[in-house]
Amino acid sequence: MLAVYGQHWRINVLTALEYRENFLLWAAFAVVYHGSAIATLWVVLHTFPSMNGWDFRDMAFLYGLWMTAHALHDTLFFGVGNVPEYVRDGEFDRLLIRPLDTLFAVIVIPGQIFPDELILALVYLGITTWYAGVRVDAAFVFCVPFVILGGTLIELAINVIVATIAFWFVRVDALRWIVLQLEQEFTRYPIGIYTRGVRLFLTFVFPFAFMNYFPATYFLHKPESALGLPPAVGLLSPVIGLTFLGVAYAFWRFGLDRYKGVGH
Amino acid sequence: MTIIETVDLKKVFRSVVRRPGLSGAFAALFSREFEEKVAVENVNFSLQEGEIVGYLGPNGAGKSTTIKMLTGILVPTSGVVRVAGIVPSEHRQQNGQNIGVVFGQRSQLYWDLPLRESFELLRAIYDVPRDRFAQNLRHFSDILDLDRFMGTPVRQLSLGERMRGDFAAAMLHDPKIVFLDEPTIGLDVVAKEAIREFIATMNRERGTTVVLTTHDLADVERLTRRIILIDEGTVIYDGLLARLREEYGTHRILVVTLAENYPDVEVEGAQPNGRDGNIVRLRFNRHEVAAETLIRRVLDAYRITDISIEEPDIDSIVRRIYTEGYNALPAALPI
Amino acid sequence: MALAVRPPFRLEPYLEFGKKAIAREATYRFDVFTSIGSFALRIYLLRMVWVALYARNAAPHGLPLHAILTYSAVALLMGLVLDVDQVSSLYTKLHDGSIVSDFMRPISVPLYFFADGTGEVLFHASLIVPSLVLALFIVHIDVPSGGTLAAFALSFVLGYFVGFCINFILNCTAFWTLEIHAVQLIVTWLTDLLGGELVPLVFFPVALQHALFALPFAAMFSTPLLIYVGEIGPDRYASALGIQAIWLVVLALASVVIWRAGSRRIVVQGG
Repeated sequence: MLAVYGQHWRINVLTALEYRENFLLWAAFAVVYHGSAIATLWVVLHTFPSMNGWDFRDMAFLYGLWMTAHALHDTLFFGVGNVPEYVRDGEFDRLLIRPLDTLFAVIVIPGQIFPDELILALVYLGITTWYAGVRVDAAFVFCVPFVILGGTLIELAINVIVATIAFWFVRVDALRWIVLQLEQEFTRYPIGIYTRGVRLFLTFVFPFAFMNYFPATYFLHKPESALGLPPAVGLLSPVIGLTFLGVAYAFWRFGLDRYKGVGH
Repeated sequence: MTIIETVDLKKVFRSVVRRPGLSGAFAALFSREFEEKVAVENVNFSLQEGEIVGYLGPNGAGKSTTIKMLTGILVPTSGVVRVAGIVPSEHRQQNGQNIGVVFGQRSQLYWDLPLRESFELLRAIYDVPRDRFAQNLRHFSDILDLDRFMGTPVRQLSLGERMRGDFAAAMLHDPKIVFLDEPTIGLDVVAKEAIREFIATMNRERGTTVVLTTHDLADVERLTRRIILIDEGTVIYDGLLARLREEYGTHRILVVTLAENYPDVEVEGAQPNGRDGNIVRLRFNRHEVAAETLIRRVLDAYRITDISIEEPDIDSIVRRIYTEGYNALPAALPI
Repeated sequence: MALAVRPPFRLEPYLEFGKKAIAREATYRFDVFTSIGSFALRIYLLRMVWVALYARNAAPHGLPLHAILTYSAVALLMGLVLDVDQVSSLYTKLHDGSIVSDFMRPISVPLYFFADGTGEVLFHASLIVPSLVLALFIVHIDVPSGGTLAAFALSFVLGYFVGFCINFILNCTAFWTLEIHAVQLIVTWLTDLLGGELVPLVFFPVALQHALFALPFAAMFSTPLLIYVGEIGPDRYASALGIQAIWLVVLALASVVIWRAGSRRIVVQGG
């Protein structure tokens, strides 16, 4: 499995080199994409200085945590998002005849993947950590990678669920787009601004709040977090991520059996 | 040893009925009607290790549904499939290790990169030992002449070169069985011959079992002795190609080159089947009149410079079966 | 040599292309329901965000809470139409080479894309009705006077054509380079931010506002929206619509130039 994964990255790098111009364009897109999100935050908080006690500095850090988890997800698991396309054009059948777990086979499909967004995210996270005045101690340095990994797994789980739905409804582009948008919107602001029902949903059903809100509450030493949970629950995000991914994988297996039953 | 076996294989699909037009399209947003379609039924056959079989049928006959069940992509509605001792859909990954697949219309090579890189990835996926990988690659390069374009990005290869690459890719992990779906479609004569030679070599040297689906009957004639014909989801013939020709291709054509320009050529027991200058074609049923008798009658009546007999090609036989159906086969023909 | 006679223009094929596009879009019913669902969710979300912001801060001048909620809801409704890339089939056809067969048909190829794109957009426009009904359950949308609505409608139509030209030009770049998605997405994101779809441009620092109002992005979203909520009053209709019209003319000319250059490339060099 490791050998396959190594080859996957070898080909990714070769492809990026083959298409240098495209690679630069996509890197520019990553800058615009995140840049416009941060600019929106800045414009809003330029007019309204406080959002439930969070100012622009806090929110810039909140965005940094999400951005890093998201970039890590896109770097490692980009292929999952292409499943609907593979199902539609029949390429998915080719994956089914590989002697690999199908989800793994999807993940190791080489593409034009390069960790440009991840590098950007790490730089941005570093800057906002300083800008937001987060205390950088041993505990922070130890916890941050786990928190980011947790966020990555949460996003992977969501994408696996969307990909599985493609086994039933071949064209799920809109759903995929919406889920990504919802994830962005829900992770952009402190969840305290939402009604209780939405907060519960973001904590226990689709746990986006564990991608950045709860960890940021902890790292920023906010006195309280939404739903009255102690801020330290933010450190549970890897556990939440693994659990959610387990559920998503079970759903994937169920969908795969169905796919093999009826084709598409 | 039996390597592929199917017993009473059946697959039923449910599909949406679409009504035509704009209103139909809008209506389909809210309610859908379904219909069930039997894709294949009562498919029974078995293959011995090392056999090459042509799996033939018109479009929509159920060929690719059968292949998908043999490769583990689809689960049968009922019936049994066993490939190299395992049930493909239950042990998909092991089955993947045992089989190789080439789709003529869909490449498994990486479009943007040289062939070599795709092979490296496949080596990792199928866990081929390095020395075996090197040995296979060298061998395939010799037969398929891959060295010339090993370093060229796949998107710049001609179709023929790409198909050679695809064949090598499918055979790298020494599969016991290969499924070839329209492997020579769109290729020129030279590339077709190279591919056919490769298939024949693999079968001869390694005993690879080959299941070939194709519309190009020249592939079949060149490679296989046994064919399975499928139409409307069921097997209508399973047996030797030669016997099909023997029993079903009852007509022969006698081609005569005349020494003089006779205005009308008529021979008892044969029907005129076209004339081109001094070359006359006469069609006859070999069960009604022996070729020897017919030739003697021609020689008695005309002066000729050349004479030959044309056998019917498999193409016309199979076309006749598709159009006239299995019932038109002579009753004597055992399945 | 036969005399080349240009066949008379017939509208019928283009109507047929439009209808086909509508039917094609309607096939994907899951997409339809998800877009309406997401629309409702996004309005609900935006309401919570704005309510939270207005609750703890002083309301900015001229845009009280009900006006900003109206702004966001109308922006999302406009997005149902304006965010559709109605010329994406041009990219697809250039990518797989099937554009050649369109050039072989006795039709105007740009008009074909216009008809196809309009059909696609009309289907998406039909989603406005159910979306609007849903929106009214979630937020209160102010309805301005008849004159304002008329100005809004005119401005919206101008904005739509500006958007069509931008999409057309972007897809035409596929004549030269097959990788256009990155550039397209960059433009989409800039439109969302700088066009005022997400946040009204009047929230930007004043120095930036002047530059933003002069860009074509503002001509798509911001101008019609600010007319709707009354930020642009009747005294400024002429100048606001004038700027939109200027952009439309500029972009339409650019479209023609680029199309000619691109299609010559196909005809002369065979793609």
